[in-house]
Amino acid sequence: MATPGIESMTATASCGSTLSAEQLALRVDAVLNDNLYWFPVRHHSAAVAHHLETVITQRRPKVVFLEGPAEAQELIPYVTDVDTRPPIALYSSYRDDDNVLGLAGIASASETIPPRFACWYPLLSYSPEYVAMQAAARVKAEVVFMDLPHFAQIKPASSPPPAPGIDAELSARPPQATTDSDHLFAESGFYQSLAQAAGYKSWDETWDTLFETTDRGDPEHFRRELATFCAAVRATIAPERLVQDGTIERERHFLQTIRTKMTDDGLHPAEVMVVCGGLHLFLDRDDVAPPPAAPAGTVLTTIVPYSFFRFSELSGYGAGNRAPQFYQTGWDLNRSGRGEDLLAEYVVSVLKQARQDGYPVSSADAISITQNARMLAGLRGRAKPVLDDIQDAIITCCCKGNPADEGLPLQRAIDAVNIGTKIGKVTLKLGRMPIVSDFHGQLSDLGLGELFDREKRINLDLDKRQPLDERRSIFLHRLGFLDVPLAELRDRQQPDLASGLLFRERWALRWSPKIDPALVEQNLYGDTIESAVLSKLQEQLAVAGHQADLVCGHLRKSIDMDLPTLITEVQDLCGVAVDQDPAFASLVAALGHLALIDRYAIYRNLKRAELGDLIVRCFDRACFALPDVASAPDEQHAMIVNGVQGLAEILLRYERGDASGFSLDRSLFVEHVRTAFNQTTVPYLRGAFVGMLAELREVPPAELARQVAAYAQTSADQMVFAGDFLNGILAVSRTSVMLGAEPLVVAIDQLLRSADWDVFLMMLPRLRAAFELLQAPQVDAVARVVARQYGLSADDAEELTELKTSVAAATLIADIDREVSEIMSRWSL
Amino acid sequence: MAKKSATKSDESSNSKSDSSASAVSDQLREPAEIRYADQLEALRQNDSDPRPRAWRLSPRSVLTYIIGGKALKAEIRGQKVDVPITRKFFGDDGVVERSIVTLASERALLLIGEPGTGKSWLSEHLAAAISGTSTLTIQGTAGTTEEQIKYSWNIARIIAEGPKPDNMIPSPTMIAMRGGALLRFEEITRCVPDVQDSLVSILSDKAIAIPELPDANMLWAKPGFNVIATANSRDQGVNELSAALKRRFNYIYIPVVADQKTEVEIVRQRSTELIAQYELPVKINAPILQMLATVFREIRQGKTSEGVSIKQPSTTLSTAEAIGVALDAALHARFFGSGAVTPGDVARNLVGSIVKEDQADLAILKEYNTLVARKRGVTDVGWKEFHDTLAGQLP
Repeated sequence: MATPGIESMTATASCGSTLSAEQLALRVDAVLNDNLYWFPVRHHSAAVAHHLETVITQRRPKVVFLEGPAEAQELIPYVTDVDTRPPIALYSSYRDDDNVLGLAGIASASETIPPRFACWYPLLSYSPEYVAMQAAARVKAEVVFMDLPHFAQIKPASSPPPAPGIDAELSARPPQATTDSDHLFAESGFYQSLAQAAGYKSWDETWDTLFETTDRGDPEHFRRELATFCAAVRATIAPERLVQDGTIERERHFLQTIRTKMTDDGLHPAEVMVVCGGLHLFLDRDDVAPPPAAPAGTVLTTIVPYSFFRFSELSGYGAGNRAPQFYQTGWDLNRSGRGEDLLAEYVVSVLKQARQDGYPVSSADAISITQNARMLAGLRGRAKPVLDDIQDAIITCCCKGNPADEGLPLQRAIDAVNIGTKIGKVTLKLGRMPIVSDFHGQLSDLGLGELFDREKRINLDLDKRQPLDERRSIFLHRLGFLDVPLAELRDRQQPDLASGLLFRERWALRWSPKIDPALVEQNLYGDTIESAVLSKLQEQLAVAGHQADLVCGHLRKSIDMDLPTLITEVQDLCGVAVDQDPAFASLVAALGHLALIDRYAIYRNLKRAELGDLIVRCFDRACFALPDVASAPDEQHAMIVNGVQGLAEILLRYERGDASGFSLDRSLFVEHVRTAFNQTTVPYLRGAFVGMLAELREVPPAELARQVAAYAQTSADQMVFAGDFLNGILAVSRTSVMLGAEPLVVAIDQLLRSADWDVFLMMLPRLRAAFELLQAPQVDAVARVVARQYGLSADDAEELTELKTSVAAATLIADIDREVSEIMSRWSL
Repeated sequence: MAKKSATKSDESSNSKSDSSASAVSDQLREPAEIRYADQLEALRQNDSDPRPRAWRLSPRSVLTYIIGGKALKAEIRGQKVDVPITRKFFGDDGVVERSIVTLASERALLLIGEPGTGKSWLSEHLAAAISGTSTLTIQGTAGTTEEQIKYSWNIARIIAEGPKPDNMIPSPTMIAMRGGALLRFEEITRCVPDVQDSLVSILSDKAIAIPELPDANMLWAKPGFNVIATANSRDQGVNELSAALKRRFNYIYIPVVADQKTEVEIVRQRSTELIAQYELPVKINAPILQMLATVFREIRQGKTSEGVSIKQPSTTLSTAEAIGVALDAALHARFFGSGAVTPGDVARNLVGSIVKEDQADLAILKEYNTLVARKRGVTDVGWKEFHDTLAGQLP
């Protein structure tokens, strides 16, 4: 599988024309022999960074035009500051305050909410753009960002429909992040043909084979090779795709920036360099159309520390790098003249990680892997192994089975070593964005500043009746709502009121490198934590529409986050949602939220009467909705049974007099449970409904036994459902089972005696599941009845429960159990 | 096709060119090195890459032989012809690359996967391409003994003459070691652990000790010797390899074919070959093959293309099973039908493939026929015939 040379291929443009290798070479020569010096890059490529650094150092230009966001020009000195350490990201946000694009209500939740857009431009220490900025600073060259601001690419609502052949949905989509062109490479006809001929499985593999692992010799040779490749790719991309992608508009901005700067400063072409994605080398130099103007609005730019994980494709960041740490290691080793050690260093790191995770690998494996990787590379036509070869070799030599099963721990070790844990740092000279300053100020006021001094987890027990703790709770709830990963609520009040910890909260706090980027992202909503929370909650309320559970959940959040100005508004919205939402699950969840809020009513000065009215309306509607779900599919059964239990708990609580001023209609609930029981044909739900009626004393406990016993008289195909029926009963019924244990045991005994072996085997899993629902005292009670039923005395029963295992054996079992738990925990199982 | 021009006057020759289904031989089944002799020879004549010692072809040519490539000009039996190199193994080419590299390394190769995923097929072709012989094979069973792996003696001659090298009966392992060839060990996990472990010294020392012959008490393997074993992943845990043996093998997992297009192509190619082998004058049309592959895929995955969830059977519905159904359908069409394979022929031969160990799988087939095939039959006469025939086969 030799790699086909570019010179031997013919690029067929999607528009139908065919370019010969000679025509491509002419096109490349025209660009490379231009008076203006163009250097092609691929973002995050260490090989490109190496050659680019050499070229800038040799040419010593006065100005370097770089494919960076023009609106972030002011940030360049902070990027090259000695205290700034990659990985970092340039961040740019735009808020259309006056709706000049007409996208309010289209790109935002409602017409009153301004649309917001943001982009990240991440940089690694081996990103060509970062290395270019550093090299330019060393030779005292000025760097000019020439890329079109991302918000200038957003199509206003009034823009005409796209031309035929252009995907309307794609072209209407705002730019997502950075200026990566990898997708265009992967889509091109040239790449597709090349990959098929050479057997490349991915664009990353292709790039690494052709450019990343090649000798770091003559930069001009590298530049020509890459330019030729990019010329062939560009020739085989449909022109309309470049329009749709925004590439053409961006290139117009490149040209305008270069021309204006050179004219204004009187620069000679030999004094400047242009560094941009390889495809842009072949932009239309005769295109005189101006780029789109940037719309008015609020623009904020800053630099934030980034992490390798955020860079990795695993984090979901589309324009990422598949193995930031792997390429970092290669970059570092090459700079210290040890580039050949990459294979060994990487393999040893993976095996070390795998061993730490309990995967059995040896040094002999390391030797086999390196041999195997080199041979695979040779077979695949490569001079040196690329990441794909090494990973294949690791799986081949170490995974003793299915890679997707037995090989999972090994795959996790590979991922961990590929990604790494490096975190960036930004110079303090840059200053902070207002929302970040507000965050740090509040953190200090609340006595939580020590978190940033020690990178360790802190557990915080709060009693919200204490003023400081209350403020801390509000702050942490607000951060959680804004997705700022500082704290995690461990003990939360449950909607079902099970915990009873109304005023107490336990939080786990830990500093994370994701905090600053998360805060910066929220600046679109406001300059302070509180204003951001208010804007974001309003947006989410607009999205929630008439879903009672979401709206009532937001009411609860607004109380947790102490937003008195919003509470009344949300309470009104809750009433509308409850009246309009017909879904049982949503209504039950909403009722849970409301019941919990009711317990805060006095503490938070809520209007209790209005809340009571809301609870009654929600309860009534949930009762009416119950028969609608009596024939719901399997996957909803657990939700239905939980919902019925939740309704019963709330009914009983208010019956006990916890609330004042209103009461819930017990007869309405009983009537609808009975209706649902009569309507459903699902044994599990039938069991749950009749169990609930027994729990409410609406049917005697003996009736449960009678219903179970009735299965003994049915045919085999009906009898197998007895386990489901019993499971339903025990899922909701506690007291009534204890009261009716004797007849229930007799009924089950009768059922089991009637069942033949196959039917018994089919019933068994559900029967077991049913009895596992019982708590220890209930199990003991049932066991005593069974013992009596079979004539066992109390002494016999004692003997049966006596522990026969030795203490040493029990200790050993406990130790093994603990070790297994630790390993599984490390594997995130 | 080279074979057609070369074998016209030599019908009884063992040399067949490729996968051409019209090949006629006195042998029911020929080993790969005979069946594909012309392709191997063409690759040899065009091979300019370096070869590991004792290999008949370079690794790259072995790869081309298995995954297919361009037609090669070669001189076959005195005639210059173009020999197409057909694809033998469908699926992830990376599996083949990793297998070849392993065989060129210190470690042995264990191909593991569900039944019918092509492990033995790949093993046979690797041995044919690398060593020129795929017949040095041990079939692992619960009754396989250490003697079958190493060597045994001609008892009559031992009694008469005592232990002498000439009185030894060499095993396929020993022949492979002497000739620097590949040994194939099929279903290695069917053998009991003690017997499996007799391979440890063969794989680590590359030698067999023969204590009965004081003057020649060691047989050393020649360069080129290695082992390709296969194991069924459903047997994992029955007679799992010891840690010592595991270390000496590189495991390569062969997954069930992932996409419909590839599965159809495999069934088409293999069933065409088998139909030719059985000299059946029938052809299975593309829509029938599509239907067969669709049924297998949907029942295997428990989901239909319309998104209907169905139950999955206890049997592994491998591509090999689908090929078996295709051949049975062709046989049925030839001897009991109209001569053309119909959807009814496919349906008629499906039950035996899907319902094997567990009679509950009958209900699964019935569910598929009722929920999926019947609905499709409303608008498609082929599916209607399939449904009606299958309904008649099910109790």
